[in-house]
Amino acid sequence: MRPIRLVTALLALVLAASPALAQSTQISLGRFFGACDTPGVSVDDAVGEACIIQSIIDAFDAADNGFRVETLPTDWGNFYDQIKAMYAAGNPPTVHVLHSSHIPEFASLGALTDLSDLLAGAGIDVDDWTPRALEAVTHEGRVYGVPMDAHANLWHVNLDLMAAAGLVADDGTPILPTSAEELLEHAQMVKDATGADYLAADFAQFPIGVRLVMALVWQQGGELFEGDRANVASPEATRAVETIVSLFEGGFANPRLDYADSQQSFLDGEVAILVNGTWVVDFYDTQAADPNVPLTDYYVADFPTLFDVPATWASNHMWVIPSPAARDAAKLEGGLALLAHINDHNLAWSRTGHLAVRTSVLESDAYTSLPHRDEYTGTADIARDVQPVVRYEAVQDVLNRELQAIWLTGKPVDRALADANDAVQDLLY
Amino acid sequence: MAGNRGARRLVTLLLVLAALVWLVPIVWMLSLALQPNELLARTTSNVAWGLVPWPFTLDNLTFVLSQGLTPRWFLNSAIVAVSMTLLVLALSAMAGYAFARIRFPGRRIIYPLVLAGLVIPEQAVFIPLYTMFADWGWHNGYAALVAPRLAVPIGVFLMTQFFRGIPDYIEEAATLDGAGRWTIFTRIMLPLSVPAMVTLAILTFLYAWNDYLWPLVSASRPEMFTITLGLASLQANFADSEGLGRVMASGVLASLPVVLMFLLFQRHVVRGIAMGSGK
Repeated sequence: MRPIRLVTALLALVLAASPALAQSTQISLGRFFGACDTPGVSVDDAVGEACIIQSIIDAFDAADNGFRVETLPTDWGNFYDQIKAMYAAGNPPTVHVLHSSHIPEFASLGALTDLSDLLAGAGIDVDDWTPRALEAVTHEGRVYGVPMDAHANLWHVNLDLMAAAGLVADDGTPILPTSAEELLEHAQMVKDATGADYLAADFAQFPIGVRLVMALVWQQGGELFEGDRANVASPEATRAVETIVSLFEGGFANPRLDYADSQQSFLDGEVAILVNGTWVVDFYDTQAADPNVPLTDYYVADFPTLFDVPATWASNHMWVIPSPAARDAAKLEGGLALLAHINDHNLAWSRTGHLAVRTSVLESDAYTSLPHRDEYTGTADIARDVQPVVRYEAVQDVLNRELQAIWLTGKPVDRALADANDAVQDLLY
Repeated sequence: MAGNRGARRLVTLLLVLAALVWLVPIVWMLSLALQPNELLARTTSNVAWGLVPWPFTLDNLTFVLSQGLTPRWFLNSAIVAVSMTLLVLALSAMAGYAFARIRFPGRRIIYPLVLAGLVIPEQAVFIPLYTMFADWGWHNGYAALVAPRLAVPIGVFLMTQFFRGIPDYIEEAATLDGAGRWTIFTRIMLPLSVPAMVTLAILTFLYAWNDYLWPLVSASRPEMFTITLGLASLQANFADSEGLGRVMASGVLASLPVVLMFLLFQRHVVRGIAMGSGK
């Protein structure tokens, strides 16, 4: 045998014998969640959203499964601009992350693959998902994604300040208000005892104030919009907004704090309560353990019920397969395998602070033993997503603009809500 | 006389104060870039004399520089900005010369049409432009990052106005000496238009270097990111409230080439702006 033939034969033998070297199908993944500053970290050792999700993806990429994954990272603020541009070009990634509030927009355009009949074959047990998670990925009776978490607004509590105001029960849990009137009473108690503000949130930047108002409207049995009808100028909305405004007027909260400012004030021990999401639980827990940080006794509470019906704003991160990507059978197979892999790592992702979506994970000792998780178990029951509307992002922008006009510029509540109602109605058509 | 001197000193003092006010955000950015993220997560007020970082760290700068693709992103930005600048100069100069000095049929219609581009917002043509390049399969390549920005109406306008200001007899003398149109353009008109071209070059380079929206949609693969896009993708967490120092370090590094360019060419920038305002 000539040398060249021998080399060729050996190469063919090696390729045939080694699946890892065989032709792999390249798939792509679009995501936000930021950049991991410790690339190559294992799933078990990863900390924070960026590193945990990237380590999960990297583990799939490294596995001997016939698929290779190219990650296409983008920052939060511009993710949807980029992903929609990729759809417009007919070249979206094989899988990408999506907020559940975007399902109506994408699914109604036929942009997403209907996964209803594909999940079981990929080894994904839909029955293991919480009912709320299943609802979040369902549009008009069909399943369009694999949920990864539920993230909701929580009350992050500085127990030291609450204790100084006499607002800690014998069992060590904070005493939270049960009505709008009690909210002001508690705020006054904290102010009198400590001089600190009672509540902080990002009222000046991201729509956390909108989500706060939504929760208070839902707690009264109302809706800001439903189907094609806006209902922003309702008595429930007026009462919700006035409840928040009363905190500003009493000097118990500062409407000018943005996301970073409100977080700084909480970590600096300047405020008793911070309204923020599930995604900061582990970060605040770590900060509270740092002797240099004034916040020392940290507690996480479910959003309290100030009116009749328990409710807090929530959304879901989920993974979808765009319709164009599913036209290639090999990529569809790879995409489904990746979704199954992410679904299998629901416990790892819940280390971010987000609520797990698989019942088997939620009930596991490994999950309940994570920091503070036993303090906000009720959130899974009271969490609510917004009503499904195609142009939710625009609706949220309108609401944020008008609410900020109320508490930042003094626009009368009635006029702001009426203006918001008109603008939202235009968006709902 | 003494009154004039006093007034001049007062104006100088006011200008220095105004310059300091303009500088504060830049010094603030530098100050935050040199502080630990852990500290910035809970306060941005831990500085000496208002702006001097304390405690001091280079971690944020080294983090940004240590990211595997940061040099590639700088290179991409340099390639895009330099090639865009050269091509815009070439196209604008040739178009400007043609509109200013060559009497060709349709000139009175085409020139206003070109200038009409000044009032069409970029966003209005964004989607058709994007889909066109997608149809050609150009996205995630240098051509797609550069080509959409080559038709610059303000550049054509600037060069046209400049060429119109050059006396006719210079060109007529060259013609009498036997010079052709191309020779006149390259040997006489271009050397005379250096001030306008430097202005246009600086404006184009700055625009190309700072551009974000078009690279965002055109380049989805990290290896084709420009520096603005790449540094934004390093955002650490939602709202970046836990990585403020890195954000500021990214800002410092991304703006360094632009600041250097301004320092090197500030005389031309000022002259160009003065020239533009006089036209």
